[in-house]
Amino acid sequence: MRDDPPSSPSRREFLQTTAGTAAAAAIAGSVGGPVVATAGAGVTTADGPRIEGAVPITLRINGKDRKLRVDPRTTLLDCIRETVDLTGTKKGCDHGQCGACTVHVNGRRVNSCLSFAVMHEGEEITTIEGIGGPDSLHPMQAAFVACDGYQCGYCTSGQIMSAVALLKEPCGADDAAVKELMSGNICRCGAYLNIVSAIQQVRRKA
Amino acid sequence: MATTVEAPGTSPIGRSTPRVDGPLKVSGAAKYASDFHFPGMLYAVPVGATIANGRVVKIDAAAAEKMPGVRKIFHRENIGKISRSVLGPGFEGICDERRPPFEDDVVRYYGQYIALAVADTFESAKAAADAVRVSYDKEKPNVSTDLKADDEPQVVVTTFGPANRVRSERGDAAGAFASAPVKLDQTYVTPAETHNPIELHATTAIWDGSTLTLYESSQGVFNLQGVLAQMFGLPKENVRVITKFLGSGFGGKLWPWTHCPLAAAAARQLGKPVKLVVSRKMMFQTVGHRPRTQQRVRLGAAADGKLISLQQDYVNDKAILDHYHEDCGEATAFQYSVPNLRVAFGRAKRNIGSPTAMRGPGAVPGLYATESALNELADQLKIDPVQIRVLNEPKIDESLGIPFSSRHLLECFSVGAEKFGWSKRTAEVGSMKRDGLTLGWGMAGCTWVAARFPAAASVQLRDDGTARVACGTQDIGTGTYTVLAQLTAQRAGVPLDKIEVVLGDTSLPAGPISGGSMVTGSVIPAVFAAADNAIASLLNIAVTTPGSAFEKRKPDELAFEGGRVFAKVDGVAKGVPFADLLGRANLRLVTGGGEGAATFGNPKPKFSTQSFGCHFVEVTWQAEIARLRVSRVVTVIDAGRILNPLAGRNQVEGAVVMGIGMALFEHTTYDPQNGAPINSNLADYVMAVNADVPPIEVHFLDYPDKEINELGARGIGEIGLAGIAAAITAAVHHATGVRVRELPVKIEDLI
Repeated sequence: MRDDPPSSPSRREFLQTTAGTAAAAAIAGSVGGPVVATAGAGVTTADGPRIEGAVPITLRINGKDRKLRVDPRTTLLDCIRETVDLTGTKKGCDHGQCGACTVHVNGRRVNSCLSFAVMHEGEEITTIEGIGGPDSLHPMQAAFVACDGYQCGYCTSGQIMSAVALLKEPCGADDAAVKELMSGNICRCGAYLNIVSAIQQVRRKA
Repeated sequence: MATTVEAPGTSPIGRSTPRVDGPLKVSGAAKYASDFHFPGMLYAVPVGATIANGRVVKIDAAAAEKMPGVRKIFHRENIGKISRSVLGPGFEGICDERRPPFEDDVVRYYGQYIALAVADTFESAKAAADAVRVSYDKEKPNVSTDLKADDEPQVVVTTFGPANRVRSERGDAAGAFASAPVKLDQTYVTPAETHNPIELHATTAIWDGSTLTLYESSQGVFNLQGVLAQMFGLPKENVRVITKFLGSGFGGKLWPWTHCPLAAAAARQLGKPVKLVVSRKMMFQTVGHRPRTQQRVRLGAAADGKLISLQQDYVNDKAILDHYHEDCGEATAFQYSVPNLRVAFGRAKRNIGSPTAMRGPGAVPGLYATESALNELADQLKIDPVQIRVLNEPKIDESLGIPFSSRHLLECFSVGAEKFGWSKRTAEVGSMKRDGLTLGWGMAGCTWVAARFPAAASVQLRDDGTARVACGTQDIGTGTYTVLAQLTAQRAGVPLDKIEVVLGDTSLPAGPISGGSMVTGSVIPAVFAAADNAIASLLNIAVTTPGSAFEKRKPDELAFEGGRVFAKVDGVAKGVPFADLLGRANLRLVTGGGEGAATFGNPKPKFSTQSFGCHFVEVTWQAEIARLRVSRVVTVIDAGRILNPLAGRNQVEGAVVMGIGMALFEHTTYDPQNGAPINSNLADYVMAVNADVPPIEVHFLDYPDKEINELGARGIGEIGLAGIAAAITAAVHHATGVRVRELPVKIEDLI
């Protein structure tokens, strides 16, 4: 996986120059206090693995063009997570059955595990990181916090990507309509009622 | 119902508190085990056996090794030494699949790891794993669902909670049953269930020569550290396990599974970080499941419904080499009053991966059986199911012969009945209708053990007015980050938004496993003691620092409240913020450590500590199209004081959601031909989705239980799943007349 990043530091450079060791940078995570910078800005660089048959592509993710060389077998999900290092998008099944990997492609929600990265050249891809950060939450993200629309948080990125897309979909006003349109996103913790509350809170304010 | 002792006022305890880690979770910034990336990191994909019984004759990795990007194909000849681990005292060395991976060439269950492909990228590793050719000596697997105990059944002598809950046999259960005026003798079956947290199990292993660092999806980082240290012959302090965020686990991530030492061994051999993410399909094979149970329940009763005899004989299936016992009798010996009792269990060996604890282990399948039997007895006697429970309410814990610390089950029933409108129920099957649908109403009781595990924590007060609280436990999704912040805010008087919480790391003070619904109850004494010790240091500093307002005083003349040190004679209004004191003393921070002792396993408890509750359920049945829906649930829980009602309600609602799955959808099916779990994906293993979930009303009684800790908080993570399946099947019977005694309820059972 290669890339010629125009300005952003690569993932490897980022890790190497932050807090001494890569491990120290990555595990400094705690909750509360200052938000710990995450290595989400960069991409893999020339010192990354050589991939036989890699294909050069440009993916536009969260408004930024990323020149990449990817294995044609790489799914959009694995490209986002492993190549571009935007790990907010989660893998839950790799079969399009759980919804944890939901992202927006040209404004529509899709399971990113169900298509190859090379199929998305030139398309507008939005991940959870493009919706809002911890200090700049989108109203849907804020509503999920206020309503406790999660427990473990692992399916949450996918739930929120679906919920944000749902705002522009033809969806009836009642809870039952929301529940139907959110049933492609499994929450094994079962926070469904709070997820519906969060979405309805945002829709009422919209 | 609610009797809260501490004045709520400004206290963060008992207040609905949005999670302090919420902004990280909703923005994708929370880091789970597979989100940590390192320079030069390699990807590992295991190869699982495609037989469930037999031997590996040959592993042909030649083609796989030549594929682009492949670093190594590991198998038992070249993985290097991975030793066994043994059980230690307390919570040490626990592991449900004791055999280390690749130890021998015998295959005992489908999917057992036999090789491991490691490559530069996930795609290359996956392709290489698929290209490994394996030949076997194959024998017919035994995955039979008809369970008979392999050995003579034993009376249950030790159950979860107090050590030696010995009295699972009392009186003359068989004799009293034989002469009882009313009898019930039924067998209840629960299927294998797979935890299926949405986070895939994952390990990222880094071996730097002498130390092993593991980013792991673990519910117990310290136990994992101990097991891996044994497996690799390392001092424990040379193994560090980190679980910053955990995408839940439901018990499946309590103890180490074989992928973890494999990733570590590969990192050792290759000298590079190795990431191994278990696939969803493999999660049905190699990381545990709730075993199938078959439970015969015999009840003898007087004509008025008073229980005379209770016998529960159960069998669970287990792996060939391991001995997991699903403790279905956990609650049987004390939940209701009965003079003659016998609970016995056996196990049946099968060619399956080892079962393990799944949310509410033992009590959840056990209470499905015993609560269902009680519902059937009530119907047989034409007694209201609530009434038969009231009639058999015990005065003490009859299994231990000691009082309950706090038991309000009768109030749970009355509150639940009132909120649900139970008095409008007509008993006749199919007699209740609404909007052209037949209604079914059912109920059941529930209980779950409450105890404390040992816990340690540290609290720092810092010169910028912030605090840091650290504990090596995990937040499995229950809200542990937030509870620790609340506790620190309460004791140290620091606002929630100025508290940093650090969890999930063996370099922190040892914290409890995220299991048994015991984290909250266990960390309260540890965090409070740590905060008190930090404050004590601060008071010493206040009297010894030159120029301090308290220089002439003694520490015992001072007090601490709301983040301020003050002289008792002057009152808090004249206090000094701790940040000012630290600044004057040129100190960056003061730290206090604290520990809480265990009550779990106490051989001589004075009180039986349990949580209680009940569920009232409505189903709708549309016979014309065989459509069954759960349409309404009211759940009442008596779990002591609830520290964060927002997260607490969520826990119970989530458990009810899982209970709907347990009652109506979930079962793992093994192919009798090859022993494979055949519905090993999230489309064929059906779990409740958003549209399956009806309105759920949760009520907490909120009676503090001071035997557990000074706040009176017991746990709430599991109890909501206990009893719910029995309430749903009772409602199904009330609507349809069909008594389903093998879960899940299938449409074909009803037509």
